[in-house]
Amino acid sequence: MAHPPLERMATDKELSDFLEHVERRAFKQAVYAVRKDESAFDIVQDAMIKLAEKYGDKPAAELPMLFQRILQTTILDYFRREKVRNTWVSLFSGLGRRDGDDAEFDILATYEAEQGSSAAESSADQVERAQTLQIIENEVQKLPARQREAFLMRYWQDMDVAETAEAMGCSEGSVKTHCSRATHTLAAALKAKGLTL
Amino acid sequence: MNTDDINLAYAVRRALNEQLDTLPAPTTARLAAARATALARKKADAPQRAHQPARQGGLFGIQIGALFSGAGLGRIAVAIPLFALVAGLAGVYQHEQKQHIADVAELDAAVLSDELPLTAYLDDGFNAYLASQKRTQ
Repeated sequence: MAHPPLERMATDKELSDFLEHVERRAFKQAVYAVRKDESAFDIVQDAMIKLAEKYGDKPAAELPMLFQRILQTTILDYFRREKVRNTWVSLFSGLGRRDGDDAEFDILATYEAEQGSSAAESSADQVERAQTLQIIENEVQKLPARQREAFLMRYWQDMDVAETAEAMGCSEGSVKTHCSRATHTLAAALKAKGLTL
Repeated sequence: MNTDDINLAYAVRRALNEQLDTLPAPTTARLAAARATALARKKADAPQRAHQPARQGGLFGIQIGALFSGAGLGRIAVAIPLFALVAGLAGVYQHEQKQHIADVAELDAAVLSDELPLTAYLDDGFNAYLASQKRTQ
């Protein structure tokens, strides 16, 4: 009886190339979800380490789906921790600590400064172009979480419907529905902003 | 999705890709450092474990060596307290059963020997009465 060929595990170089290929998109995906650069960076770092530690011996072809699944789980874990932390913070809010407010203010100020510096170009067209890209990015960020996940995996991470469904833990039909709704939501939002793509 | 939807999806994709180029240099440097950290902790290659043939022998098919490996010791560490707990519970149950039987036998013997007045059957302090009888004997 003929056995199917064993899938070869990813080499160090394949894993490195894969992480290099996805790390910036993963960072943006995390930023869209948690809206904090610093937290997004921690999430991506955790996801990369988990992939390497636990699934470093998997075939290279499985890495995109595994990484996306880990990334989504890590983002969910972040929200769970935030929920618990917020519960405790609200319980002790009467004690008058204001450190959290200050920290949040600093992060937002830094983030805006980074965005401003990266988009600072001399030409008016380039400014307008940057603004358009920013609007699109903002609208993607505003999508409901599941729609955004499905949309980004399918059309940004080049994953097929089956891989996306496995990474999201839902049916392929649900992935198609999420993608369709995300596209319609984006089209309506961009049209409302006067943008046609 | 129709063609317009797909076109829009790919237009958004192009826009998002352009935004990737605007990531600040410190962020990309930190991501590269995180990648290096992850690669340093890559799961070790384990081809030998995958292809190692199962060793024959052992008692009733149990690999003695496997029992004392890391996983085997972990299982034993869980199994021994569980076994002790089950044995303890069984012992307590047996003791309670024997005690109950002895109590019933004592009552039966007292009834059969007919030493009790009939009103004793209706008395709530029946056991106290039996005890006092024993003391007087």
